Parts: sequence; structure tokens; C-alpha cells
Amino acid sequence: MLSPLARHLLIPLLCVSFAVGQSAQPQSAQLADDGKVPSGVIIVKGAWSSASDSTTPVPEGGSVTNGVYRNDYFGMTYSLPHNWTEEYKGPPPSDHGRYVLAQIAPPETFTGSARGSILMTAEDMFFTPVPAKSAAEFVNYSKDHLQPDYKVEQLPQPITLAGRNFTFLKYWSPVAELHWFVLATEIRCHTVEIVLSSRDSDLLQSLMRSLQAMKLPDETGSTAERFPVCIKHYATEANLINRVEPVFNEARFNPVPVRIIIDKSGSVRHIHFLSAFPDQAQAITAALKQWKFRPHVENGKVVEVETGIMFGRGGN
Amino acid sequence: MIEKARFAYVSILVSFCLAGLAFAQTDPGVQSGNRGTGATLINPSNDPHGFYAFFQDGQARFQAVESVSGSPTNNNGLGPRFNANQCSSCHAQPAVGGSGPAVNPQFQFPNDGVAPGNTMPSFITANGPTREARFPFFFLSNGKPNMNSPNGGVETIFVVTGRPDAGSCSLQQPSFAQAIAVNNIIYRIPTPTFGAGLIENLDESTLLENQAKNLNNNFGVAGSFNHNGNDGTISRFGWKAQNKSLHVFSGEAYNVEMGISNELFPQDRPLPGEDGMGGSGLVGLPANCLNLSGTGYPEDTSNPNASNASVLDDVSAFSNFMRFLAPPPTGGATLNGQQVSQQAISAGNSLFNSIGCATCHNASPGNTQVSNFNPALSGAPVPAYSDIEIHHMGSGLADNVSQGGAGGDQFRTAPLWGLGQRIFLLHDGRTTNLITAIKAHASSGSEASTVEQTFTNLSATQQQEILDFLRSL
Repeated sequence: MLSPLARHLLIPLLCVSFAVGQSAQPQSAQLADDGKVPSGVIIVKGAWSSASDSTTPVPEGGSVTNGVYRNDYFGMTYSLPHNWTEEYKGPPPSDHGRYVLAQIAPPETFTGSARGSILMTAEDMFFTPVPAKSAAEFVNYSKDHLQPDYKVEQLPQPITLAGRNFTFLKYWSPVAELHWFVLATEIRCHTVEIVLSSRDSDLLQSLMRSLQAMKLPDETGSTAERFPVCIKHYATEANLINRVEPVFNEARFNPVPVRIIIDKSGSVRHIHFLSAFPDQAQAITAALKQWKFRPHVENGKVVEVETGIMFGRGGN
Repeated sequence: MIEKARFAYVSILVSFCLAGLAFAQTDPGVQSGNRGTGATLINPSNDPHGFYAFFQDGQARFQAVESVSGSPTNNNGLGPRFNANQCSSCHAQPAVGGSGPAVNPQFQFPNDGVAPGNTMPSFITANGPTREARFPFFFLSNGKPNMNSPNGGVETIFVVTGRPDAGSCSLQQPSFAQAIAVNNIIYRIPTPTFGAGLIENLDESTLLENQAKNLNNNFGVAGSFNHNGNDGTISRFGWKAQNKSLHVFSGEAYNVEMGISNELFPQDRPLPGEDGMGGSGLVGLPANCLNLSGTGYPEDTSNPNASNASVLDDVSAFSNFMRFLAPPPTGGATLNGQQVSQQAISAGNSLFNSIGCATCHNASPGNTQVSNFNPALSGAPVPAYSDIEIHHMGSGLADNVSQGGAGGDQFRTAPLWGLGQRIFLLHDGRTTNLITAIKAHASSGSEASTVEQTFTNLSATQQQEILDFLRSL
């Protein structure tokens, strides 16, 4: 008979254990109905994203349905301009924390004076090599490192978009006559960027108006509290009671960025591999299941914590 | 004539009414004329270690016709399986060392005595690309692909069986028709090697700095590097950057493409399904197909009793040839018989940068490290139009072959230098049209979809200028 404390500890472990292997990106595939290898399907994957369960939202899990982009991880909902679509999904997250959330464009039949596009990205601030601590710093870094073919039209400045603080940069390419609007905000320790591009200024302004109707989490208040507290470099000796190193059975040379959510008891309840080979994910999962953190207290309450750990090459 | 007039009419109409759609533009096509491609970067008067002689020697060996056995003995060892009998069979356009030629020599092999009695697979055609083939998955005994068993190794096309210099060796060609029938086959075309010595001599830190410089792009691009499994350093040659050095590149090709064992790959190579794994019952090559040259292994060795460059083994000689090939010179571009203005090409260059192509296709990822071979390889820019990174290219280009750290959808940014005189495009040579190649960059899972989308955001004239620029390279 397990003691109440043991049951308390075991249940989260079992949950993690049960969920392991439910990769967000299945590594196996089947023949098509005609007995052929399916065309246009990425079957043999290298390092890829995966998660310990399929119910906890992950940044790359957003999608467009019925003209609406919805991303549960970021608490984000955006109604696309009429008839605009996401023709192609983005690539998997990079091994330094870059996400393509959505790529939105008008249909081939678009009849406006010039086409345009909307790119939504996220940069994991736990892993980014860009020397920036905030969305504003990230945009400023971009501005400072624009290639010579671009000219700044508007220096980064704060604006409010959909009730949230954004940093807004405008630049353009004189030769291409293309303008870029870069809008960045910070959600869950990610710089979420929305990049609008077109040669048509009116189109860009109308896209800006459409973004005003976007739904985003409040920066304070109840919707902010529904997310775990995100803390960089949390997996340190000061916070860890037990740490077990993963045992890899194959030498690889890729970085393996991992986000974890630590529950209120200090156990790892969710593991998200931004980029890992399956054997790496398996070894790291087996180790993280044994990690134990001190419960984190904010404003007198124990809260869940989301943090990042870099395994593999250059890991900590 | 009627067709031409109709095309011109449609082009004008589209330009006026539907500016921005890709089909209003024309790929200027393969640029004729001698740009001097294929020369060496060594200045013979500034060659302190005497490598110019090695370049010349390597250039000759690169074109040597290999045979299975017989006399002369220095070009023996071909097979028992092979894709070509000269390096320059495939690396020929527009000069020795380049990519596939307009007339495919592989197509003639059954008739010109190179591969008598062999069956020509449908993917090798008279004027199509020179190719190698791979099966992404092994086959089950019932002939169906085993989706849980990735293969990806080269299925060498031809066998020496039937050649008078091949003794009693009896082998079957792989079942290409079966593989095609179940869509379990992919193709690769040869990568050109001009300027390869500069790529080889890029320091790791230079590549990493270049990667960092491009991290904050607004196109959704975020590549990584493939690494050599032995020492963990960045590998850089081949379609997936799976080969570390020109030596490895040469040694593997000599073994895999021509069947010649060498000091880096000392055995004759069985096909992936002949390796005794997976219950196939095949345990390597049959005894009567081994040591066909009669000289033992490796078939290619260094020659201690020779003098000067002849002391080298072929693989080293090939490496020297490629290492000292100069980058392909740029030239102008001709479109429909008319010279494109330099202004348009220059504008195309700026547009290429502006819309994000240069995020991956860097004009130069940096300067080379100090070279112990020749001063021309030291501190030199590398105008390869590549970052040497591997990128996710999406479901449209994925070949489901994993090599090193590169997955089935990841490819090295193909260097674009020399593109003006390349005939076949993309890793499998599926197209000769630049517009098709550009559009193929967009598909689900590709890092380049937004860049391709931005290309379509340009006017028809601007898109044409990019095409003109690319064919000037």
C-alpha cells in the first residue's frame, strides 16, 4: 500500500511515463492505399520536435481552421483576411529555438495591386543566440543588423496591438519596393513576431487593422496566470533536489533544446523537445522523469514553472 | 512561328494584367560561351609547394577511362557495380569537374561496350541528367517497401557482367522497375566541384559566425550544420553536406559510383541489400565478382616506386584536381538572343538579397583560413552563394534519405556559383527551368516558403531580373 505522499509523487511520474513516445511528429509511416510509398511526405526525419504528451499545447501546434489561426500555447487567435490562407506549414523548430508559426498569403486569384504576406514566428528566449533579453531588444538587434539592401522607415517604437504591448519596426527595400512591418511582443519567454510584407502600403495598413482584432493573452490578470511562470536557467542546483544525467547510446553533435513544465510538486509534468533525434528524446525523457525540483513560490503561492535546458552539444 | 507569336502575345498580356504571377517570366536558360570555367586557381608563378603539377595530374586522372581488368593496369578496378567509368562522365558541364552534361553518357553504356547487356532504367535518358538512384526503404520479401526499415544507400545502376574483362562475374542489376512501381526510389545528380577547395578551406568559426549573422532574418529561415561522425566538425560536401573533405568525397565516389576500392574505402561495395542484414540471405558480393582486377585490394593505392605526381593514389589526385579548381567565373546573361543589361543583372542581385534568397545562398559565407597548399586558397572570399548549412526543404523536395545528421527533408544550400551554365537543377535533376526550381523551394515544412512567397510579391520585371542575375552566375 502506497503512502499518500508516495502516491502523490508516483502519479505525475506515471503520467509522464505513459505519455512518453506520443511524439508530436510520428517517426513511422505506412504505405499509401495503392501500396506505394506516399509522395510528398517527410517520413525519414532527422532531429525533429516532439513532446511527452499530445494534450499540452506546444508552440508549433498552431493551425489555420476556417480562416482562423489559433495557437493554444501562446493563447493567440487571428482571423485571416478574407480568402487568405496558409498554403504551407512551416518547418519544424530549429535547434536554436526558432519557430515558424504560420505563413499566410492571399490566393493565386488575388486581384489587388500587389500581393502581400504574413509571417508569424517565435524565438525561444531561453535558447536564442541573439543577444537580446526582450522582444524590444530583439527587434532593435534586427534593426542594427539589417543588410545594406534595406532602409529603416521607422525606428522601433512601442505600440499597442490587440491590447498588448508590441515593438514596431518598419523597413523597406528600395530596389524591391517591398516594405516590411515587424511587430514583436513577448509571450511565455518567447519573442513572438508578426512580419507583414508587401509593395502595397494600403494592403499593409489593412493587415495592421486585421491584427488589431487578434486575441492575445493579457499581460497581467487572469489570462496571464493560466500559463506557468517562465524562468530562464531555472534548472540549477539551487532549485534541483535530484538531477540524473541522460545516458546517450550514440554520439551525436546536434544541440537538443528542451522545454519542461515543472508542476507544483516539483516534478516534470511536460517535456517538449524542440529538436532531437528519437534516441536522444528517449534518453533525456528517462532522465527528466527522475528530476525533482523544489516547489516554486510566487506571491505566497506555489506555481508551475516552465524553463529550458540545452542538452547535447553545448548543453548544460 | 505561330507558337512564338502566341507566346509573345501571352507574355505581354500577362505582364500588363497579372503582374506578379511567376509564369510571366522566362528562364534565360543555359548560357553558352566560354567563361573560362574549369581553370585552376593556382598561379604557377606563385606555387611555393608545387601543387600545380598535382592539379594537372589530377585533371588527367579525373578523365581516365576505368576498366575492370587487363592492360594497362593503372586504370583497373571498375565494378563489379558502377554508375560510370570516368569521373568526367558525370562531372563534365560546362567543363571537366562540373555537373551532368547535355548528352548523358550513361545512356550509351549498354551499346558502347561499357555495360553490355545491361537494361537501361527509365530514369536514364539520352538527354536527361546523369543520375544515381537510391531506395529510401528496404523491400520486404513480398516486394513491398518496408516503411520501418530506411535504406537510402546508392543502388548502383550497372554491372560488369557481360564485359570481356569481367571474367565469370554474374550479377543482376537492382530492380529499378519494381522500385519505380511502388515509388520507392529517389535520384541524385552530380554536384559541380568548381571552387570546392575554397569551401573545404572555410574555418568552422567562419561558418558559425555567418550562421549567427543570419539568425534574425524575417523569412523564417533557421538552418543547422551537418557534422562528421568521427570528429564532430562541420561536414560540407554532397547534397546533404555529408562529406567532410574532398578526400572523403573522392574516395566515396570512387568506391560507390565506379566500384573502385581505395585507401579510404578498401573493399568492393555490395548493394545495401546484399550486406547480410535483414534476412535477405545475401552476404556480400559473390566470390567470382571479387578481386576482378587480379591485383588485390585496394584497387587504387599510392605508388611508392613512381616519381613526382604519379606517386599519388587516384583518390588523392582527384582531390587535388577539385581542390585547385577556380570558382566558376560569372558572365553576362542572354535572354531570347538579346544581351541582358548589366543594370538588370545588378538589380537582380539586389533583389535576390532583398527578398531573402541570400539568407541561405550567401554571396560568400566568409574568407578562407590560411592554406598550406597554395596562397590562392588563403584568406580568399568564397563566392559560392551558399551558407554550407543544411535546411529543411519541405515535403516537395524531401527524398527521405538520411545522411549523417541530415534528415530526409534536409539539404545543404546548393552553391549557386556557375548556375548560369548548369543544365539540370535541384538534387534529382527534375527540372531544367529556374522558375520551376524556385517554386519547388515552397512546400509544407520548407524553410524557404516565405522567401518563395516574397518572390511572387515582386513585379514581373523584378522577378525576371532575378532570373537574369542567376543565369549570370
